[in-house]
Amino acid sequence: MLGAWLPHPRARQVLLLTASYFYYWTWAGWFLALLVASSVVNFGLARLVRRRRSPTRLWVAIALNVSLLYLFRYMPSLGSAEASGAWGSVGTLGPIGISFWTFQALSYVYDVYREDEADPSLLEFCLYMAFWPTVLMGPICRLSKLLPQFRHVRSLSVTDVQSGTYRIALGVFMKLVCAQLLATGWYGRGGVVAGFDTPTALGGLDVWALALGFGLQLFFDFAAYSHIVIGAARIFGFRLAENFHAPYLARSPTEFWQCWHMSLSSWIRDYVFLPMAMSRRGTTTRFVALVLSMTLFGLWHGATVAFVAWGIYNGVLLVLHRIGQQLAQKYRLPMDSRFAAVASWAFTLLLVSLGWVLFRASSVALAFEMYRAVLSPSTYRATTLAPSFYVLVASLAAACLACQFLAPRLEAWLARRLMGAGSPGRVAGESPAERVFGYVYRSWRWLAVPPLLLLVWYAWLLAVAGNAPTDPFVYRLF
Amino acid sequence: MDKSALGPELLDYISREIVRQPSIELTLDSPLISSGLVDSFALLDLLLKVEEMANLRIPAGKVQPEDMDTVTLILRTVERVGKPKAS
Repeated sequence: MLGAWLPHPRARQVLLLTASYFYYWTWAGWFLALLVASSVVNFGLARLVRRRRSPTRLWVAIALNVSLLYLFRYMPSLGSAEASGAWGSVGTLGPIGISFWTFQALSYVYDVYREDEADPSLLEFCLYMAFWPTVLMGPICRLSKLLPQFRHVRSLSVTDVQSGTYRIALGVFMKLVCAQLLATGWYGRGGVVAGFDTPTALGGLDVWALALGFGLQLFFDFAAYSHIVIGAARIFGFRLAENFHAPYLARSPTEFWQCWHMSLSSWIRDYVFLPMAMSRRGTTTRFVALVLSMTLFGLWHGATVAFVAWGIYNGVLLVLHRIGQQLAQKYRLPMDSRFAAVASWAFTLLLVSLGWVLFRASSVALAFEMYRAVLSPSTYRATTLAPSFYVLVASLAAACLACQFLAPRLEAWLARRLMGAGSPGRVAGESPAERVFGYVYRSWRWLAVPPLLLLVWYAWLLAVAGNAPTDPFVYRLF
Repeated sequence: MDKSALGPELLDYISREIVRQPSIELTLDSPLISSGLVDSFALLDLLLKVEEMANLRIPAGKVQPEDMDTVTLILRTVERVGKPKAS
């Protein structure tokens, strides 16, 4: 941590890498050995690709990285008991974060192939792979964004500390209150976990509530983790890639995937979809590339039929949206009206939520049973889930939507009211929320220190030790 | 490639055919992809249009969305990676 502010870049990098390696080593010694080996091999491969840009060398690098993922990430899950279901077969059998840092390595080798100018030393590349905020669960970063930050000499900034603490506090709240409530229900009376994992005959309404509830739980969980690591890195002056941008306000599947797990979706777009779609021109090629890209998106989460089916489902949704868009343009349909906007938003929310059933169900058979319930009008007469779960999902969904829709407007209003347009202490580039938090911080910061320290300690327990009295982060599984 | 003529022409194409929102006024430096105005499908259309306008071929895998985020960047990228079309 001290390393972040050392004046000499090389000394700072050495200290940061040592701290990152130590942090990763606390999970298991062989995890670290594999990470170091992957870093050195990928650095060497990138050097070879830089020396002579040949597709063969690029494919060798891709094959080696995919083999690594297959051996340590997918093979253990294939051998486990419930290989057909998404949730039953994934687990932390392989090195934690391997899917994240392997994709970072691949993006670097590909960037070298397309003659990107970033030229890190071995030390810098190892730090990029092992950087402590991102090594466990992302966000998946690009070397071109991190390298200048590793080389830049920084000083402690109050704005960074304010902003980072705000993000950590927000993340802890989202995880501890929202995600945890959805997972277990009010007072443990049955939430998403019990709904999906307890075998009962579910009605159509139950399935919709579970699908929506799980989508929200996953959002609160992973967005919380992203807030915490982005905030932790920000305290030390590092800016990481964002992972979420109000996905549940999306008015089309395309918009949704631009706002959900953005570091992975942009990776798939840049390194899979675009090269594939540009290799052969034509609408069919684009559609095939889209479905294959989303299939890979599913496969990244685990080598199971359910994840692959979930990826294909979302790929087909994207293709259908594109076809719909083309038809609307052709027949000049009024898609800009308020009614069309609300209908598109509701339709997107329902279709994306239905997809979460495949993602979460403990087996593909259960997922199809749940879809059958959705399509059978007779199953809507009775419900088996606790009424409190319906209230919980509805209230958290409303709160989430209201926050995402109203918060930016409310924050801007508060920032204006509290500080005025030209008040001292305004920092260019700060969001209204950060400004409000900054104002509170400047005015009553000493009162805030004990609870904030408690929050940071709790976030540490959640992210690192995994022994806080709550469920661990869902994306630890991937 | 005449950059001075290509820039406004490209800007006009993006406004009319891709963004289609008269309320949004674009400049040569307006963010297109990072702002969500141009999605990955529209980016492909844009690449094809740039190839046609500049009479150059852009090799697959040589460009990234960040190289195409503004019209100014697009022109710079085309100049850097564009190859003469085989006749």
